[in-house]
Amino acid sequence: MKDINSGKELIDKIKSFIQDYNFEIIAIETKSELTRFAESYIHQNVAESNLDLTVKVINKDRIGVVEMNNIDDHTISKNIEKAIEIIKISPKLDYHYRLITPQLYRIKSKFSEQTANFTPINRAQLINQLIEEINRRGYEAAGAFKTEVSTLLVANSEGVFAFDRGTKVDFNCVITRDNSTAHTSFIDSDINNFNINKVTDELLETALKNVEQTEINLGVYTVILSPEAVSDILNYTGYTAFNGKMIMEGKSFVSHNRSKKIFPEAITVTDDPFDELTLPIPFDLVGYPREKIYLIKDGVVEDGVYDHLTALKYNRKCTGNTLPPEHASFGALPFNLVMKEGDNSFEEMVSSTKRGIYISRLHYVNILNPMSVQLTGTTRDGTFLIENGKMIRAIKNMRFNISVIDMLKAVDMISKERQTKSGFVGPTVAPYLRTNNFTFSSKTKF
Amino acid sequence: MKELLKNILDYLELKVSYADLRFVQTEKENIEVENGILSSYNVSTNRGVGIRVLVDGCWGFAASNILDKISLLETATKALGIAQASALTKKEETMLASEDKHIDTYITPITKNPFQVSPAEKIDLLVKATKIMLKDKVKKSEGTFSFYKTHKMFISTDGSEIEQTIFESGGGIAAYAIGEGDFQKRSYPSSFGGDYATRGYEFIEEMKLLENAERISEEANQLLVAPPAPEGIMDIVLGGSQLALQVHESCGHPVELDRVLGKEISYAGGSFLSLDKLNNFSYGSPEVTIVADAAVPGGLGTFGYDDEGVPATKNYLVNKGKFVGYLMSREDAFKLGLKSNGAARAENWNRIPLVRMTNINLLPGNLELDELIGDIKEGLYLDYNKSWSIDDKRLNFQFGTEIAREIKNGKLGEIYKNAVYQGITPEFWHSCDGITHKKYWKVWGVPNCGKGQPSQAMHVGHGTSQARFRKIKVGASK
Repeated sequence: MKDINSGKELIDKIKSFIQDYNFEIIAIETKSELTRFAESYIHQNVAESNLDLTVKVINKDRIGVVEMNNIDDHTISKNIEKAIEIIKISPKLDYHYRLITPQLYRIKSKFSEQTANFTPINRAQLINQLIEEINRRGYEAAGAFKTEVSTLLVANSEGVFAFDRGTKVDFNCVITRDNSTAHTSFIDSDINNFNINKVTDELLETALKNVEQTEINLGVYTVILSPEAVSDILNYTGYTAFNGKMIMEGKSFVSHNRSKKIFPEAITVTDDPFDELTLPIPFDLVGYPREKIYLIKDGVVEDGVYDHLTALKYNRKCTGNTLPPEHASFGALPFNLVMKEGDNSFEEMVSSTKRGIYISRLHYVNILNPMSVQLTGTTRDGTFLIENGKMIRAIKNMRFNISVIDMLKAVDMISKERQTKSGFVGPTVAPYLRTNNFTFSSKTKF
Repeated sequence: MKELLKNILDYLELKVSYADLRFVQTEKENIEVENGILSSYNVSTNRGVGIRVLVDGCWGFAASNILDKISLLETATKALGIAQASALTKKEETMLASEDKHIDTYITPITKNPFQVSPAEKIDLLVKATKIMLKDKVKKSEGTFSFYKTHKMFISTDGSEIEQTIFESGGGIAAYAIGEGDFQKRSYPSSFGGDYATRGYEFIEEMKLLENAERISEEANQLLVAPPAPEGIMDIVLGGSQLALQVHESCGHPVELDRVLGKEISYAGGSFLSLDKLNNFSYGSPEVTIVADAAVPGGLGTFGYDDEGVPATKNYLVNKGKFVGYLMSREDAFKLGLKSNGAARAENWNRIPLVRMTNINLLPGNLELDELIGDIKEGLYLDYNKSWSIDDKRLNFQFGTEIAREIKNGKLGEIYKNAVYQGITPEFWHSCDGITHKKYWKVWGVPNCGKGQPSQAMHVGHGTSQARFRKIKVGASK
């Protein structure tokens, strides 16, 4: 799809095969390039061009869905015939399926021509610059550097036509020397905001401190979490607690705690495409405009996010969080998670900690108990003991078992600074967080 | 298509030290039913070509869904340009372990083509099974089937021309008992979407979903009012489904040679099984023998050739407790002076082959299940995975299971919920002192093994029966 007009032509072509049935169409075009490096050389370097087309044919509460990545007439026609066959043999849904009507979209994805035109040579040059400096300091570097242009088109037979194009830069790197490691990551739409010197300095600063790690006792600690770690925790919480379908089925912590003030007033978590630090997704996969949704507001549990199907089934309002049809049975996920900033600097958070731990990265986080939002995982790439307001030494990695509910209840400091990190759908904007309830349950030997 | 691929290979031949082209076309059918109502019936077709080139010892890869000659020539040219970019950081020539030329075809042997079974029959089975489960506190039930037919064409400058047609079938059912402030799930035949195999619809019929639906529902109801699993150090027996996940996380991933060489360190992590440990490390007790077997009939990781054109093989990874082998690609095998054992697999046409599991199987022992349990005074029988996490060297793990049963004086007793167990990989496998007989053994299919950037989900298998482990730390999630 070169532009909005070629998007319209594609929809017209598909329409001509569908005839009198109602329909929804999703087209996602991706041009993605990713350079991967390890042991300080590029070991994988790939590019992909693809267009995934999903056509949902609807007739009186019966739905047939077909997906294809070939848009010649024969393939489209054959697949639509299949979708019509499916609706003929399908039993009816247990709710009335309604198509949405045309909507106004208040935001667009961020797009950068420089990112779109960034070449494999450009990526390799920046990686080479990083590697040379990292090697000079005795470390090896490993990571991935992606630049991407993606186009999303959603249309339906009621006249919805939503077209959007955005760019993304996604970089992550770990540097290693024996047991000394550090990690950093970067997400933005604009390659001009990517500063390889800053990234290199950040990595070295952490790695040079992360040496001669010692063991500490297991137990409950005061912990300062980096934005990277907070982002991981927020995403798993969004997945298990704020999915509207799970809420309506009585399978979420939110099901029984709406409107209750459970957390400190400083805790506000939203799904917010308008936050200046996020990469907004302007509409969902049926064309609903995205809006700012409060999940936790001033410590009060508000509600979750709802996809179109769950909203229809349970008579709720769709919040613009519909996933692609292949994930429709899951329900909904927040697209642009945002945690509100606090008043503190990171330095203040450390200097006011009598005894605690700073965690720069979590690894293999997973849900132990979905209802109590209990998570497990380990620390990695830089965990430090804080005593009397100073990070005094690096410590060995540990496994944590935490209830996110208890952890958030015990938050007493949030940083002003927020960073943009990876999320399950769009990126997550997260601050540093200090909590007095973080349980370590077992040790590692490194 | 083959002629077109050959034309592109001819274009590349003089410009590269090695190139391969893969055309992959996948048909997929996915059916989902909730509470006796069809919620989703999706049919998809997906195809494209991936072109991988090695130029002056550096890799380039480009892939496209547009398959005319001009587009594929552009894609090939793009791959060449990317290889040139890779050369900016070149340290040494990337070399490939030698491999014979193969001209061959492979088709998954199936009895009943799942795409020829009527949609109504498939929907009806899931509708009935999910209705049976709706009892007492089971307020939600779900059932899923997925069927794949993947046609792969591989040609390379080594002269190989391989065509494969791989059928996969799978699915399962789950019951959710929902109470005030708690819910408990029971799945069958395995958790997270069920069980999968490179087989036809006969695999679904053999699952006997209707015969098991009521039991699953009853167990979910029992779990809702069951006490949490006790905490402490005790002996455990892992059922086959959970043991498959244990093998996957604590053996399958750490024996991937690319992880060992640091190629995944920034994302998924590394491995404790460093090169100095090969043939020189006690991974587990003498009871523990683990093989990679890409040829075991029906395994979800079963194929004719991997995505570098290397034939499916069976290799020992752990032999009577001793660590003896890695999973390898041609590139990584060369670094060890070895040949590839056929473990380089790509999720689709738009991904490069990475070192992946095939079927990683814990070989059966010689005990009856009664004997395995009978030798435990106080312990737990744990099965069906609910949660999994392991550190970035694959040592410290913690897994949760859907269901636990007390073992007291050699007999199964009360049901417990929210059970978790923790361990350190080699210590855990050293505590294994018994595995059940081959009559209890089967290959479980795991369709969602994630790895790589861009991410790739791989379909892998794990052959297990039941196994006993002594003095393990157990507890309950809160």
